[in-house]
Amino acid sequence: MATLIERPVYPAGQRSVQSAGELPSVEYDLIRAHVFASLVTLVISVLFGILVATKFSFPEFLGGHAWLTWGRLRYNHTQGIFFGWLGNAFLAFFYYAVPRLANRPVLSRKLGWFLFCIWNFAVVLPGWVLVAAGFSQPLEWAEFPLVVDAFVVLAFILMVFEFVLPFVRARLSDLYVSGWYIIGGIIFTMLAYPVGNFVPELVPGARGAAFSGLWIHDAVGLFVTPFALAIAYYVIPATTRRPIYSHFLSMVGFWVLFFTYPLNGTHHFVYSAIPMAAQKGAIVASAYLGMDVILVVTNLLLSLRGNSGTTSKDVPLRFVWFGVVNYLLVSLQGSVQALMPINRFIHFTDWVIGHSHWAMIGFGSFMALGGIAHLWQRIPGTRYNERMMNWSFWLLAGGLTLMVIDLTIAGLVEAQVWESSAPWIDSVRAVASYWLVRTLSGLPILTGFVLFWISLVTGPRLSEATTPAASRVTLEDISAFEEAPAASHEFTPTRWLSNAHVIAFGAGVGFFALSFLVLAILPGKELADEIKRVAPVTMAALTASEQRGRVIYGREGCAYCHTEQIRSLAADVRRFGAPTEPWETKYDYPHLWGTRRIGPDLSREFNIRPRDWQLTHLYNPRLVVRDSVMPPYPWLFKGNANQPTQEGLDLLAYLESLGRSRQLSGFDQQALTASVHAAIPDMAMASEPSARATPPTVPIAMTGGYSDSAPVLHPASNPDDLQEEVSRGGSLFAANCASCHGPAGKGDGKASASLSPKPADLTAARFSDERLSSVLWNGVTGSAMPPWRQLPTEDLRALVAYIDSLHVPSAAPSTQEPTTLADGKFLFATNCASCHGDTGTGNGPAAGALAPSPTNFHLKKPTEERAWEVLENGVPGTAMPPWQSQLSADERHALVAFVRSLYGTPQENPGK
Amino acid sequence: MINLIMIAISSIMFALLLVWWRWPAFRTWIEAPKYAMLRQERRFDDRSIPH
Repeated sequence: MATLIERPVYPAGQRSVQSAGELPSVEYDLIRAHVFASLVTLVISVLFGILVATKFSFPEFLGGHAWLTWGRLRYNHTQGIFFGWLGNAFLAFFYYAVPRLANRPVLSRKLGWFLFCIWNFAVVLPGWVLVAAGFSQPLEWAEFPLVVDAFVVLAFILMVFEFVLPFVRARLSDLYVSGWYIIGGIIFTMLAYPVGNFVPELVPGARGAAFSGLWIHDAVGLFVTPFALAIAYYVIPATTRRPIYSHFLSMVGFWVLFFTYPLNGTHHFVYSAIPMAAQKGAIVASAYLGMDVILVVTNLLLSLRGNSGTTSKDVPLRFVWFGVVNYLLVSLQGSVQALMPINRFIHFTDWVIGHSHWAMIGFGSFMALGGIAHLWQRIPGTRYNERMMNWSFWLLAGGLTLMVIDLTIAGLVEAQVWESSAPWIDSVRAVASYWLVRTLSGLPILTGFVLFWISLVTGPRLSEATTPAASRVTLEDISAFEEAPAASHEFTPTRWLSNAHVIAFGAGVGFFALSFLVLAILPGKELADEIKRVAPVTMAALTASEQRGRVIYGREGCAYCHTEQIRSLAADVRRFGAPTEPWETKYDYPHLWGTRRIGPDLSREFNIRPRDWQLTHLYNPRLVVRDSVMPPYPWLFKGNANQPTQEGLDLLAYLESLGRSRQLSGFDQQALTASVHAAIPDMAMASEPSARATPPTVPIAMTGGYSDSAPVLHPASNPDDLQEEVSRGGSLFAANCASCHGPAGKGDGKASASLSPKPADLTAARFSDERLSSVLWNGVTGSAMPPWRQLPTEDLRALVAYIDSLHVPSAAPSTQEPTTLADGKFLFATNCASCHGDTGTGNGPAAGALAPSPTNFHLKKPTEERAWEVLENGVPGTAMPPWQSQLSADERHALVAFVRSLYGTPQENPGK
Repeated sequence: MINLIMIAISSIMFALLLVWWRWPAFRTWIEAPKYAMLRQERRFDDRSIPH
């Protein structure tokens, strides 16, 4: 290290320690290197983003390669933007601004190159490669693996030496606001980064989420925001040649930002299991932050007053101005969406994705672009193409506007569907066109970034007179201050005020500690106490296979589409079950709560779907859910869905473990749950019909083929109405059922090859309305048939009508001789009654232990062909064995005749 | 705790405003960096202009 932090070689005539009249050197080579790195990584990261967006519309696109799967690309998109693009851009700006602000050069050129190499060749590049190879961390804004995180922390420590030390050495009593933001941002991020990246690996579940929430927001609030504001406060006066409106207001803005931003973190987990006091504190801090942003932006816009001409002509300044306006709008949006009445609707939706793109492109990136364009014109020997830069601005502004509007509307649409009882997949269908528009909006953005790059390498080469003449600062600009009466300069600050840089350093450390205490340590202690008090003693940790599956789940980015937290909201509870309790996350290292829902929440996946459905779904989701946008995971299988690799089995094991502790513990029967939930006003669901009280994705076991908890849906008796119902039912069937049951209902859908038991051939039996209604309402336990009770009653009735219409009567109905029926009845009582019951109602003594439950022949009349086939071959995947070797052909004929005769006759001991 | 923090933030802000209102010389002092920044820009501009 000693060789790195050494005195740089300065041009002739300059010294490392500046005397009053000498200027510090500026490391132009390092600026060029970081600008180049920022633009290369920017274009690559945006390409990752466009691929990610494209996969929403074309999920199979590049879906066969693990390293190009949605989750890994998504990780690399955000981390590339964060570290590659913005990190390098800010570093370039530091090398330009710090010597000017501190009147000292940066500490060391060699240290600078070392930092450049660390940042790009130990963080960005290996981070991308490792994530693509499957080594990552499933935490928002912390996706690079831990080994990379260590280099990030090292880089920030080096930044302290390189950029903060010059301020310390200068002992400036009149530190300009940009310097404050640079110092505070570096110090704070250096401390906050380990909290968000390392602590959740050590502190599980809800407690870890409290820490993780700090970093989620600090990544934007204390890395992007301070450095972007440092650029704005620098570029505006340097371009307009006028001082900012008020340095006092800028300092108030600085302090309030550093006071309140760290306290915002928990607003990402509103209505979660984190103590409500911490949630409300974060919401209040978010409102405070909004007020601070109004103050900051007012100050910046007043600094531009009377300069509309300059703002429109000077493209770099226009970039900054647009960034300032976006900063105001997106911050106010952020404050509003943290409020509980808004958050309950829009959280997890594309609204938030629009918000984050608005912040990272509209604010962070526009500021960074403005800063780069500004300094680039002041570097000797560079080229600058103003026309191209102008095009870049308009393409970026247009693309961003389209993207934000599109995603905001998409979020509202999703929120509306989620609030209803419609199936989850309806929300995916509802926003499909919005996702396509979002992808298209990425193209002008990518083009704008490329043009920006081109504008820096084409155009006329700037002469040695690097500063554009129009933007040189003149003596007149500062004359107001210079000519002020000397008496007004006589304020003597106290000693501690003179050491502004020390205060800035203290601000970073102090507010970090404060947010750490208030939002993480105190809620964490409360959670630990509650877990200790409430957690069932029988709660088992994950098995080795489940644990490996959890790692795969994180590796593939599953947590970025599926949450593992049910919020204390009626809509969540109605759809997924009781709210997530802190103790359920006791063994979650790190937590996988997630901040986005494209697919449904998975925290109650235990016992919901059979393993064949899960495996088929993982192999290719569209085999079982036609309109799913989930990526396929063929690398977890050996060629087909029936042959998972060990990794596929591990992931399946993990999915099947989700919610197991909750279900097996009997926790929901305890009085405590009710008392906890009663404290949350939103949990009141007085108007909820009891029939829908069980989450709609949870199958309800039926013995005897139907359940009287389900409404009996009779199709219309009027032929015209019936025709309309059948037509509508056909559309619903094609959208929701055909992937398993086949387009004609013959049980030969794409998924049928890997499902056991096979989906029912709906043409090979006649079903009573009671049977169809019950199956649609409850699902069929032990099979891949899910419940569909989230569909509106009219839709369910239409499906009943359509399935009724599929039945094809046997070509030549046989006439049963009385003796045949009598033989069949005897054979049935001898061989079948133990499962199907004495009278064929499907509720024999053994039925309770069987899933799927035995057929109730009073409610289902198979065709002769089907009944014969079942007796010959059995029903694979169920308890029904083949009888070919045990019963003669005549006996089987007699049985077929008997069971078919039962349909529609009165039942005794109907099943429940 | 949150209330305490918010009261503290508000108090600090009001204290700053009080100082700003009570001591005019403070205003000059705290505004000085924005002029210093421009002076520094001018020094760098001058260096870049060929003589």
